[in-house]
Amino acid sequence: MRSLSLLSRKWGSISTARLNSTLTEAQATPDPHKAALAHPDYFSVHNLFTVKDLFDARVHYGHRDGSLDERMLPYVYGSRLGHIIFDLDKTAEYLRRALNVAAHVAYRDGIILFFLRGAQNSHLVEKTAQECGEFAHTRFWRGGIFTNATKQFGAVTRLPDLCIFFNSQNNVLLQHTAVKDAAKMGIATVGVVDSNCNPNLLTYPVPGNDDSPAAVELYCRLFKAAILRGKERRKADFNE
Amino acid sequence: MLRHLNALVEPSVKYFQANNQWVSVLFTARVEAKTFSTSPQKPEPQLKKNVSKAMKAYLERAKEHDEFMKQQNVEFQIGKRHLANMMGENPDTFSQEDIDNAIQYLFPSGLFEKKARPFMRPPEEVFPQRKAAEFDETGRPYHFLFYTGKPNYYKLMHDIVDHINEAYKFEDTMIRKGIKPDPNLALDMSGFQWIDKESLEAELVETIGDKDYETFSTTMDRLYKLPYSYRSKDFLFKYRKPLMSHEKTYQAPKPQYDADGRAFITTYECLRKRARGHVTIRSPGTGKVTVNNQDLTYFAEVQSREQVSETVLIINNRDVYPFMEELIARPFSKKYDILKKYNMC
Repeated sequence: MRSLSLLSRKWGSISTARLNSTLTEAQATPDPHKAALAHPDYFSVHNLFTVKDLFDARVHYGHRDGSLDERMLPYVYGSRLGHIIFDLDKTAEYLRRALNVAAHVAYRDGIILFFLRGAQNSHLVEKTAQECGEFAHTRFWRGGIFTNATKQFGAVTRLPDLCIFFNSQNNVLLQHTAVKDAAKMGIATVGVVDSNCNPNLLTYPVPGNDDSPAAVELYCRLFKAAILRGKERRKADFNE
Repeated sequence: MLRHLNALVEPSVKYFQANNQWVSVLFTARVEAKTFSTSPQKPEPQLKKNVSKAMKAYLERAKEHDEFMKQQNVEFQIGKRHLANMMGENPDTFSQEDIDNAIQYLFPSGLFEKKARPFMRPPEEVFPQRKAAEFDETGRPYHFLFYTGKPNYYKLMHDIVDHINEAYKFEDTMIRKGIKPDPNLALDMSGFQWIDKESLEAELVETIGDKDYETFSTTMDRLYKLPYSYRSKDFLFKYRKPLMSHEKTYQAPKPQYDADGRAFITTYECLRKRARGHVTIRSPGTGKVTVNNQDLTYFAEVQSREQVSETVLIINNRDVYPFMEELIARPFSKKYDILKKYNMC
């Protein structure tokens, strides 16, 4: 009784006849993507790598103790001879989550933008983006690309749906402006955070080494595989 | 609003109906909107293809631009025919050159800057062309570097690095085999430089800054200096332009041969101030200078004599055989001003 009176107070009185008619209408059409979203690992990204692969790619190496960011402490296993070591079990968990997100975004035909600022590995990241049909930005970040996109590109532009940072810092070891800007524009972010990075603004941080070519190669390979799986599944599910 | 209401009411009323009691039901703060339809449920899941706002805006602008260009084209064609009529020419065979001449005749302009003078050109040349759609109907860009703002420029840089990496890899394999790079095959770009900023901008259809151009220049140099850069010859040659020195572009006149078989060139109507004359240079010569069938003493003033003799010196220093010169000078004023000589190549 109380609930119905609450209702009438909130929404005004409604005739019961009209209520009855709406209730007998046909069911809603099911959301085609709901099945994929309900599944914990629809694209089986968990078998893309093992913890041993992470170890071999030197993902567990952080920087020195002195440059440790306190906010990274939850992901750190310890330090050895002054060098931070990441807990690879945690890294694996976060990385699988990130790969799952990337695959789902690709499944929904989302735009994914790769970021890496650093001459050594930039070319590899651009090539990876090209190969999986997504986008890359490893160059100087012009201020208003996300926040002033219409003026920057001269026309209404569709912004990325996911930003993947293989290195969340820029050339001068400050956080990349795009992390902040993506958060402002409501764009989800995945980011590899090293021991001197700030993981707070990233939606799906992945604690790990972001400097070794071996580690960056591994991340590129994994994200490319996840994205391609998402796209394949999309083709399979919707074009049969 | 009705949807929200239904979502709120449905669970509570159902519960009420089921239990036949007045039960207070907790409503969740967030309610999902439900879609209702009377049509039967579709067997296969359907994907909605949204035309993004970006594409809609682009399509609108493109339509406007196309209409504008069509209108301008019509006006240009009609104008051309009118012009042909005015000039008494056949309007069907009136070419762009004819248009230019007609405009020059009808609107004579003394303006120094040629680009400021009146002209009549097809609208494609006058109005800046828009870039073709950079994204498809869902708003997804075509170029993988679209979000950098300068996709063509950064793609070019990406390609240069590709070539550099290929050259490194090839060098590694050669070193492993113990083979040294062949110096004969090495590229020689001594008479060339990289294309200038304006040409690069025109080729990329993008404006680039000075710093970007410098980066391009130094990166191309980096690629060119590698020992195996000759394998990327085609790519490098696309972005170089020859250093034209005046010597190479200058077309020297062909010498004639007199009865003795000696080559000579005569240049007529040489002028300086009020003096007019013809100059003949013969090769192989003796170094003798004749002015109006007289010696260099024809010139009373030392300055005039020096001018001639210095020219002789210059030419002699350029490894041309000493020559004999003939000059017919007709002075109009007291000052005899000699004219400059011409090379004999």
